[in-house]
Amino acid sequence: MIEQFGLFFQALLAQTGAVHLSWGNVVMILVGATMVWLAIAKHYEPLLLVGIGFSCIVANVPGPPDDVPGGQAISALLYVVKEGGLFHYAYEGVAKLIIPPLIFLGVGAMTDFGPMIANPRLVILGAGAHLGIFVALILAKLCGFTLAEAGAIGIIGGADGPMAIFVTMKLAPHLLGPISVAAYSYMALMPLIQPPVMRLLTTKAERQITMKQLRTVSKAEKIAFPIVIAVIVNLFFPPVAPLITMLMLGNLLKECGVTERLAKTAAGGLMNVIVLVLTVAIGSTMAADKFLNWNTLLIVLLGLVAFVFGTASGVITAKVMNLFLKDKINPLIGSAGIASVPIAARVSHIVANQENPKNFLIYHAMGPNLAGVFGTAISGGILLALLGAG
Amino acid sequence: MQPIIPDTLEGALILSLIDFVGSFFIIAAIGVVLAGFPLIGRIAARFEKRAPAAPAAPAATEDAPQDDGELVAVLAAAAHATLGRPVRIVRIEPTNVGDAWAAEGRLAHHGSHQPGRGRG
Repeated sequence: MIEQFGLFFQALLAQTGAVHLSWGNVVMILVGATMVWLAIAKHYEPLLLVGIGFSCIVANVPGPPDDVPGGQAISALLYVVKEGGLFHYAYEGVAKLIIPPLIFLGVGAMTDFGPMIANPRLVILGAGAHLGIFVALILAKLCGFTLAEAGAIGIIGGADGPMAIFVTMKLAPHLLGPISVAAYSYMALMPLIQPPVMRLLTTKAERQITMKQLRTVSKAEKIAFPIVIAVIVNLFFPPVAPLITMLMLGNLLKECGVTERLAKTAAGGLMNVIVLVLTVAIGSTMAADKFLNWNTLLIVLLGLVAFVFGTASGVITAKVMNLFLKDKINPLIGSAGIASVPIAARVSHIVANQENPKNFLIYHAMGPNLAGVFGTAISGGILLALLGAG
Repeated sequence: MQPIIPDTLEGALILSLIDFVGSFFIIAAIGVVLAGFPLIGRIAARFEKRAPAAPAAPAATEDAPQDDGELVAVLAAAAHATLGRPVRIVRIEPTNVGDAWAAEGRLAHHGSHQPGRGRG
């Protein structure tokens, strides 16, 4: 009787995932839990990290073995991915490059490009702060990645989540999980990564530089901006045109003044739905058997290198510009050129404000910050074109 | 499309150089385009000046809903002019609401502590 009970219990247990839990699953569940903790306790990109962390946890809770006898135990979440259920289509939205342009539509509808239009000299910082992309690319190649993989890894340094996903899906789709996780995690950790680099490369006097108030940008300029940029990008950068075109459409909806409802939907409800789908799709790629390997560790390290070099090159570019400018700029705004709107601009403002409480750099930093989005798009576009993925 | 750059370390260096320098030039070109944007503002301003004045907005009718703050200000000013002393509007409601007994009770209650007159 007891023997029979034991056999029944064993058979029952074999139908669950409990017996298939590996150390890799446990590590990834801890990684997911850390993401959720960072989002809730530290407020680091909660809109992204809660969804990614949660689906990472669920993707690593093993289910019963696959239909094949002796097959691999996969989680209920991944079953759904495999069987063509909800998460399958969530992932397809990313894989077929539908989600990233829709995110850009929402970002455009939320963004005021006024600071960038008001001070065109500062757009150069949007290119200067992208040295990190190429340092990471070269190091990745040295580590043995293919050039396409190295390009996808390098774009982490562009500090732009949708662009990183877009370029990765074109160059190295198998690296989507680690690259998107590295990109979003480092963007969330910017307030910790950037300030030491910024302080190391600037003097106290430089950090205290105040800047003149920017001119007011007229409504006509704000309406013309998305149209002009959309034409330029579609003419010269077709590989990244889907993203920038949608960014500009969202911005036109915001600025034209007659489509308030659409702008509100793009920046609100639609954006929230897309973020939900995106986070679940990314989290579901983080199963231990695919995610937990040396390549992931290397990618995460290279991502950090890209962010550090990007920050440094932005500050140095600003210092070089000061050699030629009559009205000096605060070099702290250089690091905002890395993109990651608006986190990097906020970091520039906070560091400057700590040195001089009367110095409010946020509006000035938003110019290079927004230019950084275009800098990443241009770098990504050139990468895709030269690597034959355009 | 075939890749233009060979998959070697040298290729990575060439790709990085072309991309970094190219990005600088292209973003500088965007900066030049943006430098011309004040012209758009000036042209738009000139058009706005030439355009005929927009028809005046219809005057608010008596039926149109009014801002509560404005209504309170008007009522307070009218009461001040009539009574000759400052008053505070506590509540506004149509005269046909409630019954007479309740109104009498409220009047007595309000009268007992004279709202609107501060003690200090």
